[in-house]
Amino acid sequence: MRPGEVHALVGENGAGKSTLMKIVSGVYQADAGEISFKGQPVAFRNPRQAQDAGIVTIYQELNLVPYQSITENIFLGSELTRGRVALRWSDMHQQARELLAKLHLNVDPRTLVGELGVGKQQMVEVAKAIYHKADLIIMDEPTSSLSIREINDLFDIVRELKEQGVSVTYISHHLEEVFQISDRTTVLRDGQLIKTLPTPQLNVDSLIRLMVGRDLSEQFPKEVAPRGKEVLRVEDLNRGMTLRDINFSAYAGEVLGVAGLVGAGRTELVRAIFGADRIDSGRFYLDGEQITIKSSRDAVHHGIGLLTEDRKRQGLFLQMNVRENITMSVLERLTRGMVTNRKREATLSQEYIDSLAIKTSGQDQLAINLSGGTQQKVVLSKWLATEPRVLIFDEPTRGIDVGAKVEIYRMMNDLARQGVAIIMVSSELPEILGMSDRVMVVAGGRIRGFLDRAEASEERIMELATATDRQTIAEVLPDLVEERSSRPTAEQFNDKPSN
Amino acid sequence: MTNPATDSTQAAQGGGAGNFARRFVSNTGPLLILVVLWILLMILSEPFRNPTTWGLLALEVAAIGVVSAGQTFVILTAGIDLSVEAMVSFAGVLAAILIAGTSIAGGQIANGLPSIIAIGVALAAGAGIGMFQGMLITLFRMNPLIVTLGFRSILLGVALVWTRGAGINILKDGPLSAITGVIRVGTFPIPVPFLIAIVVYFASWFVLKHTKFGRYTYAIGGNETAARLSGIRVDLVKATIYAISGFLAALGGIMVMGRLQSGAYQNGTNMTLASVAAVVIGGTSLSGGIGGIWGTLIGVAIIRIVEAGLVYLDVPSTAKEIVIGVIIVLAVLLDVIRRGEIPWLHLRRKPAA
Repeated sequence: MRPGEVHALVGENGAGKSTLMKIVSGVYQADAGEISFKGQPVAFRNPRQAQDAGIVTIYQELNLVPYQSITENIFLGSELTRGRVALRWSDMHQQARELLAKLHLNVDPRTLVGELGVGKQQMVEVAKAIYHKADLIIMDEPTSSLSIREINDLFDIVRELKEQGVSVTYISHHLEEVFQISDRTTVLRDGQLIKTLPTPQLNVDSLIRLMVGRDLSEQFPKEVAPRGKEVLRVEDLNRGMTLRDINFSAYAGEVLGVAGLVGAGRTELVRAIFGADRIDSGRFYLDGEQITIKSSRDAVHHGIGLLTEDRKRQGLFLQMNVRENITMSVLERLTRGMVTNRKREATLSQEYIDSLAIKTSGQDQLAINLSGGTQQKVVLSKWLATEPRVLIFDEPTRGIDVGAKVEIYRMMNDLARQGVAIIMVSSELPEILGMSDRVMVVAGGRIRGFLDRAEASEERIMELATATDRQTIAEVLPDLVEERSSRPTAEQFNDKPSN
Repeated sequence: MTNPATDSTQAAQGGGAGNFARRFVSNTGPLLILVVLWILLMILSEPFRNPTTWGLLALEVAAIGVVSAGQTFVILTAGIDLSVEAMVSFAGVLAAILIAGTSIAGGQIANGLPSIIAIGVALAAGAGIGMFQGMLITLFRMNPLIVTLGFRSILLGVALVWTRGAGINILKDGPLSAITGVIRVGTFPIPVPFLIAIVVYFASWFVLKHTKFGRYTYAIGGNETAARLSGIRVDLVKATIYAISGFLAALGGIMVMGRLQSGAYQNGTNMTLASVAAVVIGGTSLSGGIGGIWGTLIGVAIIRIVEAGLVYLDVPSTAKEIVIGVIIVLAVLLDVIRRGEIPWLHLRRKPAA
């Protein structure tokens, strides 16, 4: 790492990116080898030592206390005190305000962190890093839950940090981001350093080749299956302010992509269809017949499956084995009288282990010991076992390496060919564009439009996904919007000479 | 630096063997302790070599064993039932009053209902009250710790009010004598309550291992959200589990009452802590989803053997509480160590990438 450099670290899942960074930041200890920082060999025994030396890590899951204010979070563990006990609140608030101003973040430092959006929370993390006079900031998948606008803000900050001589190590699955922001790129594979190159010398194809160690003919192996008849129809679905007037249909053999910004209500929408959340109103039709969905159990019975975005917390039973995970939703079918038929259970799960090529040492392997992609296949198997009519994928490839992604896409193709209606929620526009037959754009809890595969493009989707914020406000407060749009925009402001 | 090898491949390759080793340790660890304690006592204490002593020990194990079986179900779902000792007392008092036909303490009488009916009523009350607690916990999302702690007070209070603090003494009739009696196998006396406990354990094992209810029990403890989203009736399963715990605690109460021929509000004293300790010593995790019923039986045996050992080794009975307390704290320590949750011990299993 050079001073003032943005260095991207890429590799498939399990390539050792996070492990490497955890060693650098003192979470793990190296078995052998040496790290030198600012010319000095260092070996941090814990994250605190690394932080004191000027290495700060911003993790994928933010390490903030939601019930405390921004100030409290920034100063957590290094509070300013008078004597050794009394906190100097006004000084801390003042410094926090200055830090936030540096990051163009216009919020009161007394605000509780939990009230901020994820993007702003990330900025608080950055503020914390600046406060600790970090010379090296490690960002581990910082954009995984940010909207496009927030990502751009983050990149601006990264560029500014760079100018101030701060080095940034940037770990990401999003290759476009790597090209946008980094100066040099290091590729890791299977715990080994494959290559370090100046980023401009790379392109997506060559980078992927370095990452997976083989050619990837295409990222999205989409096969268009003939669109069958309507399987699921949703009418007048409403849920508080989060979902309003939702009307749409899903067809057999079709992949319906659901696009939208973070907070647009995509996950809420699919959860509502799946009966996971209570709804205010809404009618569901399966094959033209009205059905009631009051709980996830109802949804499962009607042949609807949901692969949640958060596998570990909502989909998997980590301490149970592969077989038990796969058969969890179909145990009733495998049970006669009171006894579960173990033989049929084993046969069934073996079928899926074979057909999905699940990499496991056996049916008895615990789910916790599987890699992300394999875990996703196990969850998928659970739903395939229920022989679903409608299968909902919420962020199906989040945190999954490139190779496993393609496998998941292939399975979507297979399912579509078998006549399953697929609904795919995704934050990654390339994925939406690459895999969907039809795109449904959601914003502000409403459906803002449908795009066919042929007419869908990033621009068209973003147009529908962003224009709506103003539309929503316009519905409530028409005057306010009018007034706003007559004002100069922020950029126009910045163009003027400032004092 | 050396190979920061991929966690996933490591896990894939070493997972089977690693799992096996881990399971072997957590399954046989407690058993090993039990055997060592047993041998130690055989060497140190003369009366302990007598089979009659073992019979007594088995009798001691029976009631707390049954109660702990119910506790195992609850803890497997990441809950806890603190009302069991109160349920033991309450069920005993209820059955005793029904049998005696009066709630006024006096000589040993049986002017009321036949014991079989009284027992039935007490067991049904146990299951019903347990179910009710389960419904409070699931339907209103109340914290099980507080709900069951509240019911501990309520049930103890009722038992106290009904009996005015005295024990209701009863006369045993046929059925009650039968279930508190002894069967001789050769010269070997086997107490019937112990047999009942064994039946309860086999039934629990069967339910946990071979029914979908058992699978759901583990699933809920391991990941309640995922269980719900898999279409499992989580609330129903959980409420039923508290009913099971209530039922088994009431059964334990009947055993204690029958043996003492007296229903008193002190009958269940200390059984809650002992049952939780037994479950944890037996390898079931307090955070749910991991463990099993046989471990609990071993846990119960360990606790009872230690207690008995203290008696045979002439440790003053006043010190008993201290030892039990130490065992419980050690058991919880064992739990966190086993789960690898103490970072500075470096036993932590690396999470799969």
